[in-house]
Amino acid sequence: MPAWQKNPNDPRGLAARALLPGGAEPDPRLTLANERTFLAWIRTSLALMAGGIAVEAFAIEIFEPAVREGVAILLLALGMLLSGGAFVRWVGVERAMRHQAPLPIPLIAPLLAGGGAVSAAIVAAVILTR
Amino acid sequence: MSTGPGRFAPRHGTAAAVDAGLQPERTTLSWSRTLLALVTVSAISLRWTPLYGAAILLVPGGALLGALVIGATQRRATARRVRAIHEETGITRWSGKASLVALVTCLGLVLIWLITRS
Repeated sequence: MPAWQKNPNDPRGLAARALLPGGAEPDPRLTLANERTFLAWIRTSLALMAGGIAVEAFAIEIFEPAVREGVAILLLALGMLLSGGAFVRWVGVERAMRHQAPLPIPLIAPLLAGGGAVSAAIVAAVILTR
Repeated sequence: MSTGPGRFAPRHGTAAAVDAGLQPERTTLSWSRTLLALVTVSAISLRWTPLYGAAILLVPGGALLGALVIGATQRRATARRVRAIHEETGITRWSGKASLVALVTCLGLVLIWLITRS
């Protein structure tokens, strides 16, 4: 049944039915665990953004302006991507739990690892070659 | 030695009495840590004021507003979580999470806009 049609067996709103179609409500403990994992990813993205702000605000004498702005934008963009990815992952895990399917692989984990490594390598290279 | 409830045992039903895993309490604490992370971003971004002028105030203002909304909603949300575990009903909510992601994305866009504008 399409999500926009009313379903007497599913009293949830249109958006909830479209976002998390079918299946059964998971155990509230699992839903809360998924929520805490989502929040942990959001805090990670906020920490990356705070790092981007700090590079631009506190490292004025250390870096060339172009490098400083590049690293700041990289960290801010990574933070934004991770926050969006955290929501996609929350939806993916919630859908899997509704259908008692295996949980999806976290694609944001390699994104965080790669982005963090690239940012750290740029900062290290700049400091070493100064 | 008394075998009854300990001196500090709650008289009324609490989160611990409902769920030994303390799921509602841990989830509320997780939201509180997120609130503190937003306040931290708000405070650090104030250091941009000399660089970017008054436009930067959008960022600490937005982050603080998000923190206030989280703080204002958690009391009721905790009660909802306790009730859901007590009654074994579903508790899936998406709108708060989507709003939080929208806020973080907007903060990031404003910050990148400020950097590229200068």
